[in-house]
Order: sequence, then structure tokens, then C-alpha cells
Amino acid sequence: MSADVKTNLKRLLACLGLGVVLALMIGDQEGNQTDFGFAFKAAVFHPRILIFLGIGVLLYLAMTFRPRVAPYLTRAGVRPLAAGTASVVASYGLLNWSDSGNLTNGKLSTLAHGARDTSGISVIGRLFFGSAVPGLYWILFVLAIALAAAAIIVQKSALAWGAAGLSVLAGVWGFVAHEMVRSYLHSPDHSTGAFVALLGYATIASASVTVARTSGSEAATGAFLDRIFGWKPGFPLFVIGTAAALLGTFWASWFSPTDKNTSVFGMSDLFHGYPINGLTSAYLGWLVWVLLVASVVVAGAATWLQHKLLGWASVLVGAVALLISLLSMHNFSRIAADQKFDGAVQAWQNIGTGAWTLCAAFTVLAGAGWMVARKPVDAAADPVSPRPIGSDSLVSPGKSFAFTQAMLVVVLAGALFYPPTATGFWQTVLVTEIGTYVLLAVGLNVVVGWAGLLDLGFIAFYAIGSYTTAYLTDTLPVKPPHWLHLSPLMAIPFAIAICLVAGVALGFPTLRLRGDYLAIVTLGFGEIIRIVAINAKSITNGAQGAFGIPQPVVHLGPLHLKWGQDPLQYWYLLLVFIIVVVMLFRRLENSRLGRAWAAVREDEVAAQATGVNTVRVKLLAFAIGASTSGLAGVFFASQIGYINPDNFVLNNSILVVAYVVFGGMGSLSGAIAGAAVLTWLPEFLKAQVPAEDRQMWIGAVILLMMIFRPAGLLPAKRRAAELSGLDKVYSAETAAVPAGEGM
Amino acid sequence: MTDFLNFLIAGLTRGSIYALIALGYTLVYGVLQLINFAHSEVFMSGAFGSLIIVQSVIGRGVHHLPWYGVTGVLLLGLTSGALIGAIVAWGLERVAYRPLRKRGAPKLAFLISAIGMSFFLSQLAGKLFNRFSDNNFPTYYNVNKHLFDIRGVHISLIQTIMIVSAVVMMLFLDTLVTHTKLGKSIRGVAEDAQTAALMGINIDKTISRTFIIGGALGGAAGFLFGSAFTVYNTMGFIPGVKAFAAAVLGGIGNIRGAMLGGLLLGVVESLVPTAPWVGGHTWIGTQWTDVVAFVVLVLVLMFRPTGILGERLGRAA
Amino acid sequence: MTSLSQSPDVTHPPTTDVVYDVRNVTLKFGGVTSLSDVSLHMNRGEILAVIGPNGAGKTSLFNSLTGVYTPQEGSILLAARVGDAQTPVLLDRKFGPFSLERRSRKTHEINHLGVARTFQNIRLFPALTALENVKVGVETRQTSGPISAMLGMPWQRREERESTERAYELLGFVGLTHRANDLAGSLAYGEQRRLEIARALGTEPGVILLDEPAAGTNPAEKRDLADLIRKINVEDNISVLLIEHDMKLVMSIAHRLVVLNFGQKIAEGSPEQIQKNPAVIAAYLGTTDDEDAAAEGGTA
Repeated sequence: MSADVKTNLKRLLACLGLGVVLALMIGDQEGNQTDFGFAFKAAVFHPRILIFLGIGVLLYLAMTFRPRVAPYLTRAGVRPLAAGTASVVASYGLLNWSDSGNLTNGKLSTLAHGARDTSGISVIGRLFFGSAVPGLYWILFVLAIALAAAAIIVQKSALAWGAAGLSVLAGVWGFVAHEMVRSYLHSPDHSTGAFVALLGYATIASASVTVARTSGSEAATGAFLDRIFGWKPGFPLFVIGTAAALLGTFWASWFSPTDKNTSVFGMSDLFHGYPINGLTSAYLGWLVWVLLVASVVVAGAATWLQHKLLGWASVLVGAVALLISLLSMHNFSRIAADQKFDGAVQAWQNIGTGAWTLCAAFTVLAGAGWMVARKPVDAAADPVSPRPIGSDSLVSPGKSFAFTQAMLVVVLAGALFYPPTATGFWQTVLVTEIGTYVLLAVGLNVVVGWAGLLDLGFIAFYAIGSYTTAYLTDTLPVKPPHWLHLSPLMAIPFAIAICLVAGVALGFPTLRLRGDYLAIVTLGFGEIIRIVAINAKSITNGAQGAFGIPQPVVHLGPLHLKWGQDPLQYWYLLLVFIIVVVMLFRRLENSRLGRAWAAVREDEVAAQATGVNTVRVKLLAFAIGASTSGLAGVFFASQIGYINPDNFVLNNSILVVAYVVFGGMGSLSGAIAGAAVLTWLPEFLKAQVPAEDRQMWIGAVILLMMIFRPAGLLPAKRRAAELSGLDKVYSAETAAVPAGEGM
Repeated sequence: MTDFLNFLIAGLTRGSIYALIALGYTLVYGVLQLINFAHSEVFMSGAFGSLIIVQSVIGRGVHHLPWYGVTGVLLLGLTSGALIGAIVAWGLERVAYRPLRKRGAPKLAFLISAIGMSFFLSQLAGKLFNRFSDNNFPTYYNVNKHLFDIRGVHISLIQTIMIVSAVVMMLFLDTLVTHTKLGKSIRGVAEDAQTAALMGINIDKTISRTFIIGGALGGAAGFLFGSAFTVYNTMGFIPGVKAFAAAVLGGIGNIRGAMLGGLLLGVVESLVPTAPWVGGHTWIGTQWTDVVAFVVLVLVLMFRPTGILGERLGRAA
Repeated sequence: MTSLSQSPDVTHPPTTDVVYDVRNVTLKFGGVTSLSDVSLHMNRGEILAVIGPNGAGKTSLFNSLTGVYTPQEGSILLAARVGDAQTPVLLDRKFGPFSLERRSRKTHEINHLGVARTFQNIRLFPALTALENVKVGVETRQTSGPISAMLGMPWQRREERESTERAYELLGFVGLTHRANDLAGSLAYGEQRRLEIARALGTEPGVILLDEPAAGTNPAEKRDLADLIRKINVEDNISVLLIEHDMKLVMSIAHRLVVLNFGQKIAEGSPEQIQKNPAVIAAYLGTTDDEDAAAEGGTA
């Protein structure tokens, strides 16, 4: 009994401590030397500490009563309910609902404050923002959640249907209200809040429907997904694509210069009399509808009938529709820029969300057809066909293949057509942070995730790639021979070759070292490269680095591409790099070498005894990872135009490792997701916390992730197996981590 | 010759700080086979903690203290640094290591959670105190005073303090690990955790205490480093990396190896770039200090892949 | 050495040429001598068993034969496959006139020379499927590189297909076809033993070294295992070197036995000869601390 009291007391103290830490994290900024510890005192010795202690007590209660709640937590609908709740809370509390110029802070609370008394907005919208009942949207939300939770607990389908109805109402109402504000403000809007809220409510609604429709209590998420996505491969994509197409045509704006906002219906009139070409004129007049209907019908037929030929037809129709759309968009936006009627200076500017959404829809519909066309022979009917465990299949291989494919198509469509609708700031972030680090993480994943070698100097190869580009484009003090002046893209093979050599040169003497020794040696290598870059002034121009690295150009026959200042152009270049690298690496993972890597990582002695040349295999991992990093370096140098040693500090190497592990070691999609999330987060946090505190929050996020999900965001199947294997060993609670494990 | 000796003394000073921090890495490595990446923040916390305590006791500014005053401040600083370091290290183990251990996380997950903790701690310290790099300890000793000055070879007071306190603490640790029951259980866990558990050693407690000991040494090193230089929230990073290198150099997991590695690395860093120690002329130059350090590390590891003294906490020498 | 045709289970007469020629091998760790002056011949096509009490140096011998350890003295010659020339496993390298460095061929080189092995404590790649485990073995004999894999070249695809087919064959051979797509770590103990053998066979060996393949298996599994070993020996014409504590198993399948004790070879001969050999009986039953060894012999 007393032991029980002691445990509880400990837990309470820990929870209160956590509350205090939270109070410190959310407190004021530092004082100065004369006022040392000001922030500490302000955070702790102030009545507001009581709130945080209260949070601690709540946490304690939650932990204490967890065993009683736990049976309910595994019930069907709990997970989607939690996800929906999280996204609605994020939308209401953190995300922007408007970013038009006259609102400095476009969060919902600010927007609601202004909008509820604005007579230009319909009463339906004002009601949502709280003209009658302040904070109505929160009340709706809490009601919906409470109903859904009650439905899960008492298993009454009436309650569940009520929750579903309420959340549909709240979601749609919020979306409509946001639309009203948007049309009232009459300016381009990149905010995501309303979308996220709508999605969140949709998730809550579907959770509620699940609760209403399932009699059993245990959730079977994997089976459920399998059923949805495996039922008719491509059909979910067809639904998503159709919804996006309707959204893009009937609702969203197609052209959004400051004063001529118009939907697709107004486009024809808007450009009447302007010298748009025949195709565009037809497109804006009637062709868009034909294409829309054609691709929806063909994709629908293909996915419903599961007919391979129709599948290919759907791919073709989608591709043609996409091509015609892009051509028309280019034409009318260029004419608009030529005619100076919207303040744009070149093509592609001011195109509204609708057009891009339609493009995404065509892509998704084509993808639906592709899934039908490429449907594998039914694996269940053929028990002896090999089912290699790819890195990305979270759920059991087989039907979930369809889920992975569908996700792939959606992500691709998003990557292609979301960025143009984002703000310039986010476009820049997408290129300089997210995209570049995704490429780096994919490269490091080979070394760390697949071969199991801890490399803490990965950024060195990035530096080598960048400096190689600078050298070959003649921007370093040391000049290349005159016949070797290259455009940045031509530098790629050289950079890759040099990084390969550097990778082997680093690997050869060090690869017989075990994990942690390798870590410090690679770390040292990274630092050596950076210090050489600083000190070898006559070669690298020292701390100033290289300036004026030219932008990429491509002259291939009739094709002339030149990259300028627009981050969007670089995004597409980067996307090509990433897609190519990921495709190559996916094949590699399930090849002879990929299995050899896994073997070396799992058990080096056994791998040797099986005839695997471990040194060669490890060197290849080093070299392939390094060359990817070099590729990223070329891109970085030519995109940013200037480089200096400060771009290649040790911290970046450590961060890339963190991205890979955060995402899920050994999983390509994990590495991508990890890098994307952790590079997006600091930029997102800019609007949420003081800029100086961002790294602290990121540290906390990484820490929490590792505590609660040590296998990472999207763990690799191969790794997940390792982890669950270990669980058995460690449940004895006696062992420390064995030396040779993991890594 | 004089220059050589002066550089040697400077190197020993630097090396004793490295050695103190390296002990923290090596102790944790010994029992867990993990690099405690957040150990540099333990060092930083010790510096900040002792700074706050010393400042609140004697006040800021310049003080002219008699020798017993200096000794008192020194003891206060060392104990407070050690205390704060120990508390932070204990918390670190509870938050960033134990939950992962219970879940049987892969080894890299520990590394990343420690990195997360490191970001968190250094930035939290920055937020709560400040992010300036010029928080100085109150001047409690005469900065310019040379304790010894023999024909141009001089040892300043702070150098003496650093070397002597480091040596005393290392001897203390060595005794602790070789002769006490706690030391025995630490060595037992390092040797074979599962067997140790069967022998009735409480693994969790032992690991926790190992962190506390390592943290106390790191925190005290933070105070010494802070007294000589300055205190700021990212001060742990570079000494941390160097101390990690030193621990590996000596043979990670090996206590005497960490001491030897630390001292050696400090001396190498001080002597090699400044050779041939006459006039201002150098062959290599101090801007290459870090390169020299890492090159030496790589060379040593190429010939002795497990460090100078080899691995294993259990077999100290 | 001695002819073994009188052994009851011999279904085909082993050829006489020598697979492993081990001469005067001594292996020391610090002050501990693990093998002292051990010489033995392994003939092509035979099943040779190495027996001895715990700590007799059996696994050290295996590790010396496969390049994990480098014995300080002696020589090991290997001609694993039919028609191979004898190749030294231990290489002496001169560094100038003075220094003499001795190293063993790398484990994977020896494997490529036609020696496959299993481990006493099973060492599979637990996070790969059973099929993939075998494929790792098969693919060490393939040649396509990373670039052709990345580009999906036709010859790489062909090799991939071949390795899958071969791996399925081998899984069928050891009776694990139904577990092909299960993770190796999730297989039952006996299945893991057989999978390890399949992985070893995947490397097209001339000799296979089995380190206590029957440890921890039940009597039925032991019978299957004995059949499997005979099948490997007869059908695939692979010489088998076997460490095993289970005397019944050893006596029923081995053509010839070598007995080690305290790092020394104390006897060699046919099962009948060994069973009667007083030195062997003494080693197992007689002297100092061998109660557990005897117990092990007894449980057999």
C-alpha cells in the first residue's frame, strides 16, 4: 500500500514538475545580466503558475485513471476522433483563417472579432463568428466532440449520428462563413485554416459514422483501410479527384488579381476581347467542362469496372486534360500580364486556387486510372510470389499496397499543384528548407537507415557538392581550366563523382570502426571540411565564400529553360531531383544491395559468413549517400547563388540525422516525412511562439516523438520488426541496450 | 622552451576540462553503450547554476578576497555546479532515456532524444537567462596573478585551480568506481547488465546514479570553464564535442581512458598548432586547431580502433 | 585417412580427395590456448563430426576455418568444390625483410571459396523475411551492381528472378515454403535452424559447417534434421562438417568423427572406433569437471 502511495506521489511530483517546465516554456523572455533569472522568477513566482500546476494535476489524473479509460481507447472511432479534434483545434487556435493585407494576424479569433460586426457579411456568417453567442464555433466544436465521445462510450448510434450531423454542420458552416469573409475582403487568400477545419470535421463525422455503424468495440484500423482501399483499387482516388474537380470549378477563384477576382464562370467574359489563343478561348468557354466530365466519367468507369484498358484510357484523358489546362493557364496569364490588367509581369501569376485544384484533380483522376491499369495480379491467389517488405508499407503487405499507391498519387498531386497557391514566403521555405533537406534526408537514410552506419558529418558532402558547383561555375578564387566552365546543372555529374570519391575516401579507413567511433570520426570529417573552407582562403575565399553562382539553365535542342528568382521554378526542379532519387532508391532497397545492407545492419558476422563483402557494401552506402548529398549541394549553391562555410555547420548534420530518425529509420517515406515536418515546423512556429524559442519547441517535439514513438513517424517495416523483436527482450526490464544493436 | 612549457600548461588546463566532461560521456557509455549527446547541456547547466548561486552569494563585480575567501567561493562554485549538473543529468536520464529503455527503442532513437533534449535545454536556458555570450562570473580571484613564474614559465591561478580541482575529482571518481559498492554495481552493469540484474543489482538505480556522477563532474567542469571564460547557453557545444572525441580517443567506456584522452587532446590541441614554439612563427597555426584534434583522433583510431586504452568501464586500466 | 565404407548409413562412397587440410593449428587468446596443434583432414563428400565437451575448442575451430579468427600457428588448406585447387586460408605477408604479418582470408572470401556455415546461437537477419534471408545468400554469387539495380536493367531483373526462384527451391528443400514471406524473427526455433541451413546452401557451397544444428530441437525435429543433413550430403554432394552434442544424431549420420578436448585432438575415427576409444570415454565421463558434459552426452 505504501509503495502505491509512493508511486502516486512520485507521479504527482513529476506531473507538477512538468507543469512548471511548461510554465517556463510559455513564460517571458530572458532578462539581461543585471536582471539575471528574471524570466525564471516571472514564470514561477507569479499566480499564473497555478494554471500550469493545474495542468500538471490534470495530467496526473489522466495518468492515474488511464487504466480505467484504456478499454475505451481501443474502440472503433477513437483514433479518427482524436485526429479530427487535433486538426480542428489546430485550425481554430493556430492556423490562419485569412491572410489578406489588412489583417496582421489572421487567426480565427482575430477574424471572428472583426467579422461578427461587419454588416457586409451575411448574417449566417456573422452568426458563426459569434454575433449572437460569442465563440459559437468553439461551442459547436465542443458539442460535436462531446456527442461523439458519448457515443463511443455508451455505444448509442443515435448519439453518433447526432455527432456526425453536428460536425458536418459545423464544418460546412465554418467553411461557408470563411468564404463570405473572403468574398467580402475581396483579396487573394492563401490561408489554410478553413480547409483544415473542414477536413477535421469530416474526420470527426466519419469517426461518428464508424461508431454508429460498428457494433463491436475493438477498432481495426488496418483492416478498415484495407477494406476501403482494397475494395476497388483507385476508387477512393476517383472520389477524391471528383470532389477536387467540383471544388476547383464550382467554388474556387480562377483568377485573383486584386480587383478582378473571378471564378471559372467569369473567365470567358473577363478575357473577352483580349488576344488569347483559340485553345484558351475554347477552354474557358466550354472545353474545361468537356475535359472535366470526360476524365471523371472515364476514371469512374475504369475504377468501378476495374477494366485495365479503361484504366489506361483514364490516364490518357487525365494527362491530356492536364496538358490543355496548363497550356490555357499559361496563355491567359501571359496575356493578362502583357495587357497589364492585373499587375502581373509574367505568365503564371495571379492564377487562382481553382485552376490549380482542377489540375490536381486531373492528376488524381489519371492516378486512379493508373492504379487500375497497373493493378498487380491478386497476391492472395498466388501464395508463393515474393512479397518483399518495402520500407513504406506500414500495414501488412498486400491490399495496403493500394493504400500506399493512392497516398502516393495524392501526395504527388499536392506537391505539383499546391505550391503555386501558397504565399511567396512558403514557396521559399518549400525550396530552401523543406525540399533541400528532404533530398538530404533521403540520402542519409541510405547510410543511417539502411546500412546502419551513424554519419554525423553528412553535411560535409553537401558542402563538397556546393563548392564543386562554385568551382565549376568559376566563382571561387581558384579557377577551373577555361574549357571547363559549366552551368550548374552540368556540374551535377562532377559533384556526384567527387562526393562518391570523398565518401569512399572517408569510408575506407573508418569503416572498420564500430558505430560510435564512426560517429565521432564522421563528425570530425564534417568539421574538417568546414574549417578547411574557412581557412583555405586562396581556394575557397574563406569565410566570405563564393558569390554570384549562376542560376541553372537548360538548353536541350528546342528546349530552353532558365531559372530566375522565382522559388516556384526551383521547386519543380527540386521535385524532379527528389522523384528521380526516390524512384532509384526504391528499386535499390529491394535489390541485392538493399538486402545486403539490411543483412549487414542486422548481423555483420552472419552477413560475412553468408558471403556478403561487408566493407564493399558499407562503402557503397557511404558513396551513394554522399552523392545524393552532393546533388543537394549543387542545387543549393545554384539556387541561393552564394555559399559560405556557415551553411555547413555541424548542427545541420545533426539535424539531418534527427530528420531521418524522427521520420522512421530506413523508410524512404519516413525520411521524407521527417525532414518535411521538422523543417516546416520552425517556419510554422514563427507565427506561434517568439522566434528565439523555436528551437526549444522543436527540441521538445523531437524528444516527445522519441519517447512515445521511438520508431518514428512512418517506421519501416524492416525496422518495426526489429523493434518489436527487442520488446520481448526488454520487457524483463533488466537489460541495458546491447552494444551491437540498432544503429 | 618557455613557450613550449607555457603551451603545455595551457593544454593541460584545457585537457583537464575535456577530461572532466569526457568522464560523463564515458560513464554513460559504459553502462548504456550510448553517446549522451545532451551531456554538453549538463555542463552548461552547471555553469549557469553555479553562476547564479555564486553571484547571489557574493554579488556581481570585482572582489578582492583573501585566500580563504577564494577557496570558499571555489568550493561553493564547484559544489553548486556539481549539484545542478547532477540534478539536470538525473532529470535527463528520467526523461530522455528511461522511457525509451522501457520501450526497447533502437539505439539511434536514444541519440535523437538526447539531441532533442540538448536543443531544449540550451534554448530553455537561453530563454530563462539570456542568450548573450558575456555573462561573467564575479571576479573572485586575481585574473593577472601568476601563482608560479619561473623564468618566463607561468602558471596562473585559474590554471592551477582548474588542473588541481580536475585531478582531485578524477582521483575521487577513480576511487569511487574501483572501491565502493556503487562503483562495483556500475562496473557490473557496464560488464553485463543482464547478469548484474540477476546478481541483485538494481539496474535502473545504477544507471540513474551513473548519470548523477557524470553530471556532477560535468557541472563542476562547467563552473571551472565559466570562471575562466564566460557563460552562455550554447557554451556546451564545442567542449562537448571535444570531450566526446577525448572519450573516444582514450577508449570510450573506460574511465582512465577518458582522463588520458582528455588531457592528451588538450595538450595536442595546444601544442601541435603552435609548433615550433618560438616567436610568433608557427608551422600549422591555431586556426587549424580543430582539424589537428580530429586528425589525431582518426590516426589513433586507425591504429587502435577502440581507443588508446580500449573499451570497457569494468576493466579500468 | 581411414576408410569409412563400413559405416552403416553411407549410401555413396565418399571420394578421397581432401576438402579441408588442417595442419598443426594453434589459436591463442591472450594467455588462453583455445586450439593447440590440431591437425585434421576432411575428405570430399563425407560427413565429419567434431565432438567434445564444452570449451573443447569446437567453435574456435569453426571460426578458424571460416576466417573469423586467425590462428597463430599452423596452416589450413581449402579446396571446397570439386576440381578446386588447394588454397591457403591463412596468409603470411611479408612487410619488408623483418616483419611478418599473418592474417586469415576474410570470412566472405572463404565463403566465396565455397564454405558456408551456420551458427551455434542462430544468427539470421530477423527483420528480413525467410525468403529474403535465403536471397541474401543466393545473391552473394550474383554480379549486378547498384546502378543496374537503380535503373532496373534487364540482366538485373533476370538475376532477381533467378535468386527468387532459387530461394524458393531452397526453402522447399528445407521445408519452409509456407513461411517464405514471414519475418525470420517470427519463425519457430527449429524453423530458424533450417532457414539458416537454407541460407548457407544458397551460397552454393562445397562444404557446409553446421554448428550444433540440433541444439534446442525436439526428437521429431532431430530426426528431420538428420534426414536433411543426409540429403544435403547425398543429393547436393556437399561435404558436411558438423559440431553436435547429440551423440545419437552424430553416430547415426557421421561417417567419421574428430574428438577435441581442451583444444587438442584426442581421437579420430569411425563412430564405432570412437565409441570404444578409452580417451574419449575418459574425456566425457572420467576426469574432473565433466559432469555437465556427461549429462549432455546422456541427454542425447
